[in-house]
Amino acid sequence: MHVEQVDFVSMPTRDYARAVEWYRDVLGLAVSDYASTEIETPNVTLTFWKPEEQGEAFVPNENGIALRVEDVEAAVEEVRAKGAEVIGIQDSGVCHMGFVKDPDGNVLILHRRYAPRG
Amino acid sequence: MAELGVERADFIGVPVQDLKRADEFYGKTLGLRRNPNSGERWVEYELGNVTLALVSPEAMGPDFEARGHQMPIALRVPDVEEARGKLEAEGVEFLHETVDSGVCHIANFADPDGNTLQLHRRYAPYRDGTLP
Repeated sequence: MHVEQVDFVSMPTRDYARAVEWYRDVLGLAVSDYASTEIETPNVTLTFWKPEEQGEAFVPNENGIALRVEDVEAAVEEVRAKGAEVIGIQDSGVCHMGFVKDPDGNVLILHRRYAPRG
Repeated sequence: MAELGVERADFIGVPVQDLKRADEFYGKTLGLRRNPNSGERWVEYELGNVTLALVSPEAMGPDFEARGHQMPIALRVPDVEEARGKLEAEGVEFLHETVDSGVCHIANFADPDGNTLQLHRRYAPYRDGTLP
């Protein structure tokens, strides 16, 4: 089987408009040219879905999508100032990770690797 | 772009309880490319545009519980039915019949930890006439 790429990741939400606005206004990401419920990171599309509309329980994603920023601490303070819930910052030994939550409780990681690979 | 300056999505975390079992599934069953810099505790798969990172007790500590995310990840394949047939032959169970959305084919399945993945192929051109 040949997987070419990830076309999109579906983020669970309870409110499409609130989710899209948050990713646009707090994270500064672009709304898709093709669909008003999709957000474009520079390399992969985030779309939103309502599990409850399909008879499934809503469970926020705890494991995170890591978004690369230049300065994790500054980025965390910026999203905090915009009202986002901040869980905390960790130094993994190779990268800094700032854990924050979107309005649905999905975890995002403001991320910067500082150690060389390998 | 606002001042936050997100440069790219570095990885998508995939929670797994049994790292070896997940490594086998993503590497052998799905045939994805394992990042050669992966370590004993942190394993990554490179999918062309973005990385999947296996988040395991080895990385997070013994109390880590992988509960299976509810965040379907759409994997682009040339032909959904063909890829589905190959995975079913490997014993992968699909969650429903393949859906034709009107612009794409999509088929949901789960990894051994219950994380939802999708085989996906858009066949309809976008508004500007291009195809993915």
